[in-house]
Amino acid sequence: MRYLMMSKGSDTPPDEKLFTEMAAFIEEMSAAGILLATGGLDPVGIRVASKGDEITITDGPFTEAKEAVAGFALVEVRSREELLELSRRFRRIVGDGESFIHQVF
Amino acid sequence: MDAARTVDAVWKFESAKIIAGLTRLVHDVGLAEELAQDALVAALEQWPESGVPGNPGAWLMTIAKRRAIDHLRRTRRLQPLEEERRESRDPDADPDDVLRLMFLSCHPVLPTTHRVALTLRLLGGLTAGEIARAFLVTEQTVTQRIADAKRLLAAEQVAFDLPAGPELADRLSSVLGVVYLIFNEGYSATSGDDLMRPGLVHEALRLGRLLAELAPSEAEVHGLVALMEIQASRSAARTGPSGEPVQLHEQNRGRWDQLLIRRGFQAMLRARATGGTPGPYMLQAAIAVTHAQARGAAETDWARIAALYDLLVRLLPTPVVHLNRAVAVGMAHGPAAGLDLVEPLLSDPALRDYHLLPSVRGDLLERLGRHAEARVEFTRAAALTRNAAERDFLLRRADATGSGQAAGHLRPEPGTLGQAAQRFLASQDLTPATVRSYTQTLTRLRRSLGDRLPLTGLTPAHVSRVFTTTWQEAAPSTWNRHRATVRSFSAWLGGEDLAALLPRRREEPRAHTPVDNTILDELHDLPLRERTLWHLLRESGAPVTTVLALNVEDLDLDDRTASNGVSWRKHTARLLPALIAGRPSGPLFLTDRRAGPGATDVCPHTGRRRLSYERAEYLFKQASGGLTLSRLRRRAGQNSRIVINVGR
Repeated sequence: MRYLMMSKGSDTPPDEKLFTEMAAFIEEMSAAGILLATGGLDPVGIRVASKGDEITITDGPFTEAKEAVAGFALVEVRSREELLELSRRFRRIVGDGESFIHQVF
Repeated sequence: MDAARTVDAVWKFESAKIIAGLTRLVHDVGLAEELAQDALVAALEQWPESGVPGNPGAWLMTIAKRRAIDHLRRTRRLQPLEEERRESRDPDADPDDVLRLMFLSCHPVLPTTHRVALTLRLLGGLTAGEIARAFLVTEQTVTQRIADAKRLLAAEQVAFDLPAGPELADRLSSVLGVVYLIFNEGYSATSGDDLMRPGLVHEALRLGRLLAELAPSEAEVHGLVALMEIQASRSAARTGPSGEPVQLHEQNRGRWDQLLIRRGFQAMLRARATGGTPGPYMLQAAIAVTHAQARGAAETDWARIAALYDLLVRLLPTPVVHLNRAVAVGMAHGPAAGLDLVEPLLSDPALRDYHLLPSVRGDLLERLGRHAEARVEFTRAAALTRNAAERDFLLRRADATGSGQAAGHLRPEPGTLGQAAQRFLASQDLTPATVRSYTQTLTRLRRSLGDRLPLTGLTPAHVSRVFTTTWQEAAPSTWNRHRATVRSFSAWLGGEDLAALLPRRREEPRAHTPVDNTILDELHDLPLRERTLWHLLRESGAPVTTVLALNVEDLDLDDRTASNGVSWRKHTARLLPALIAGRPSGPLFLTDRRAGPGATDVCPHTGRRRLSYERAEYLFKQASGGLTLSRLRRRAGQNSRIVINVGR
């Protein structure tokens, strides 16, 4: 089963150690065939809204930096437990903050 | 959250690395797995209370390594020097260990089913129960396979190393074969209710992706990964709402998984970058890539696919690849060209009951406007498939073809082969034995040609094709018996002789040709039991059953006779003492293994059962290239030579 994990930005700027650990983690998970895709998100963003026939386009940012989703990872795991173990490791590397995870159908 | 399930998830992530590291330490994969399991048990005991440690993999490895060192210390007293050397190496130092483990669990000394079970167990971290459920076998079967596999690896002293040089290609192809087999078992389940078992597809993808990281310089590894990623990308599109299969050209391409397609393309680029001549997996991947690149079925580059199949068929000349090539050529260069390639396959025994052959042929015939023939082929394909969804689909195609007659059932209709065969068997004053014999022949004809084949379309060429795919290797008497049925059937139909292309075969007398003694003498390589039996049959001229019924106590070695009248000469006399090996009584010819409990006719000294006629016949057929034992019996005036195939 596939899950999309979205993580919010953090107050503390990333340091050298985080970059190294994260690179190793991404490499390990890709090698194991678990991490299918990952990337960072520009906090600015564009909003497209529709109402009736009308389409409204607004440029961001819309929230504070730490509230915006800063990165995503699409993973393929056998079970919910594997997913949670994976996210535990991820959070341990990135430090304080939050991730949201949804199953992808 | 359930601690046991967390431990299980961690285990699945880490087990391959742990077992691989330990195997290098203790040089025995069975022991390594036991030690790793000990660590797992410790985790199950401690983690619910202490919480999952920060680096659970390292935690498990530390515990397992400690157990391994304890074990080595215990055995060190016996082999101090060697253990010292082994222990000096750090188990978690070498990233190639997991690759070594993969080569080990896919080793050619193991039967394929065992390779699959062991690979899923050691590399995938699956339990025997999980493997059993995926392959629809009992858990006990899987446990047994894994235990047997470990025993075989130990008995054959298979080294925990990376094959190099010419051995590498063979060993790698075994690993790729196991991974692709797991994939295919999941992707096109041959049995069970579902057309797919996604769990196995996922396991195979993970194993393939892992292998690509571990052996990045092997083009075929990337080729296999590309092939699997692209095939898996069609998962959602290849079954319809009620579970029926949807053919590639009719699939909704919007449902293809673009992420997997892109991963497949990337793997293909890596495969190309490593250079060299494309192997079978790369070629199959290239075909899959070509399909994936087409935005719609009509835009498929069939000329390119046909060219790729031309290359593939040279590396992988299997009947199925030949058939797929015919499909591609039929699309690229027209149905007539495709049909030309299909026709030779009709006489291939391997495809005799393969439903896709008539299905493909029906498709080509239909495109050529030969609707009646196409209908027969679709109906025949429907009768051959074991999948209910596919059968309905083929019957619908038969319905839709040409004449528009309803074909929604498989009951024989007037004027068809099926109906005529039934009436033929019912209408005559035949003895039950004749009916049984005729039924055998006609059932095969109906199965191979289809019940709905109109009698007007039934030709001697059709019948000849069925005979060559079915009874080409049969004994002349069998061939002639089936031929006689066809002749009676033709006479009853009142049309042309359907056996016109079937020559009557010369039947040799039942027991005749003695084997030249000098040839039997040359068979030093064959087991003593076989050589003795064959010489005894040859020299005594006694029936096979009589000779096999001999007991040691019946024999008078000095007089060269047995109490039932069987007598022999010098060649048998020379071999008998060694065969008897001091046994005072019991069956003379014994099986290779000890009989199970409750067996009868067992030698009281060795616990082995009397050699059966079937087994003795099989052994001689293997050695002689298909001759029956009765042909060893001497008959006056005949002296032809039979060449025995010592190589087997």
